Amino acid sequence: MTKKMNKKVKKSKKNIAVSVKDLYISYRGLKKTSIRASWKHLGDKVEVFDALKGVSFEIEEGKILGIIGQNGAGKSTMLRAIAGIFSPDKGSIDLHGHSISLLSIGVGFNKKLTGKENIYLSGMLLGFSEEEIAAKEKEIIDFADIGDFIKRPVKTYSSGMYSKLAFAITAILETDIMLIDEVLSVGDVKFKEKSYNKMKELISDERRTVIIVSHSLGTIKELCDEVLWLEKGEVVMMGTADEVIPEYEKFMGVVSTQEEA
Amino acid sequence: MNKFFYNIRKYFKYAIRSAKAELKSEVADSYLNWLWWIIEPFCFMLIYTFVFGVVFPNNTPYFASFVFIGLTAWEFFNRMITGSVKLIINNRDLVTKVYIPKYILLLAKSFTYLFKMGISLIITFLLMIYQGVPITWHLVFFIPILMVLYIISFGAGMILMHYGVTLNDLGNLTNIGLRMVFYLSGIFYNITERLGTKNPQLCYFLLRANPIAFCMNELRKCMLYNKIPSFEGLIFWLIIGLVLCSIGIHVIHKNENSYAKVI
Repeated sequence: MTKKMNKKVKKSKKNIAVSVKDLYISYRGLKKTSIRASWKHLGDKVEVFDALKGVSFEIEEGKILGIIGQNGAGKSTMLRAIAGIFSPDKGSIDLHGHSISLLSIGVGFNKKLTGKENIYLSGMLLGFSEEEIAAKEKEIIDFADIGDFIKRPVKTYSSGMYSKLAFAITAILETDIMLIDEVLSVGDVKFKEKSYNKMKELISDERRTVIIVSHSLGTIKELCDEVLWLEKGEVVMMGTADEVIPEYEKFMGVVSTQEEA
Repeated sequence: MNKFFYNIRKYFKYAIRSAKAELKSEVADSYLNWLWWIIEPFCFMLIYTFVFGVVFPNNTPYFASFVFIGLTAWEFFNRMITGSVKLIINNRDLVTKVYIPKYILLLAKSFTYLFKMGISLIITFLLMIYQGVPITWHLVFFIPILMVLYIISFGAGMILMHYGVTLNDLGNLTNIGLRMVFYLSGIFYNITERLGTKNPQLCYFLLRANPIAFCMNELRKCMLYNKIPSFEGLIFWLIIGLVLCSIGIHVIHKNENSYAKVI
């Protein structure tokens, strides 16, 4: 095992955390319909929408990858595919045995139950065991910083408190690979700063691999080692932030002037 | 199939916790709280025994217990089928945000229904004691019978859960089907007594072709009338149930990753 790993390290200097090869994802087949409609459309050709058309890339362990692109370029689809929420139609995604989570707010919350109970519900859904959550429970409660409300039903929370708790759960229960869809801005100014710092701390951990989807080029520039630019389901460019972002800005500029004209 | 058992083991604790959470939240803000779990079936029992004991009297011994055993089994089956059709859509938030084997959702749901069935069973036992039903060791056969019922409901539930994602009006169809099963299963009447002499073939068919009628009839035989259930029948329906389960597991494994795209 170690031999094998050493070999790999020698070859590429660092371990690969995620490799995506020739990824195709299309939306089709299972289409919502009624029984009557399905009878009528029997034998019709199903519409196929290709969200991703042959995307390939690799990320090394510990790197931060930003994904940029216009709406509908396939960014979120890609994240969800990497998180395993749906499987590729063609191609492959290899996580090399790393644990992964899509940082999403308030998964599996039951609004009538207390915050504490929801920590367990949500945490177990993210794939953690009861013991692991129990070990981190205090840390989560401290980080969420919502005082006595932790013992009250979640439906009594203000929307800010809700997001604070939800963010605390996903931020404290860490995985090897984190996927972040749009940088989170939750809570009041103080908490925002705290969560941004926490995020940075999480991200800058040597061993943690992060993939961020964002429209904010500033954030991407600041946080990411590498940037992947997607357009209509295909990779346009991949490289360092300094290489890709100017090109992307140029491209977006062209698009917007065309629209104006 | 190994994947199924691996997933069940992995998510079993989550399913239990989620079931507990759902039960708790059901009664969280009502005045009488968990008492509803007892009051509701108890009142239903009073209504049914009045209507079918006083308004439509008949010769079946221990009729109130008879009705209540039927209702206990029926309610479980009914909840499982109705619950599974919209299960994925009702859990949209969850399904689109994390990966979870979809039958775990059904498993968690089934635990809440099992809990309610347990309460209903306890009330039935109390009623049986009250009515002076002779209680013998044949009573323990209710366990394998309910297990068969569970396996059939779980298998059928998984299949309906899958089609419920894409077919919007599957709910209407299952409602009709359930209503039919409800009246044909002999919950409020004794199939053998009504049809046994008039139309023995129909009676034979109704009791054997319908798993719910079969389970109810066997439950009543061993719980009220001190008889041994039909083992051939139980094994037959167990096999059917296991076949339904394996079809359901197969269908869900094949399609579950696409659900997030549809809803």
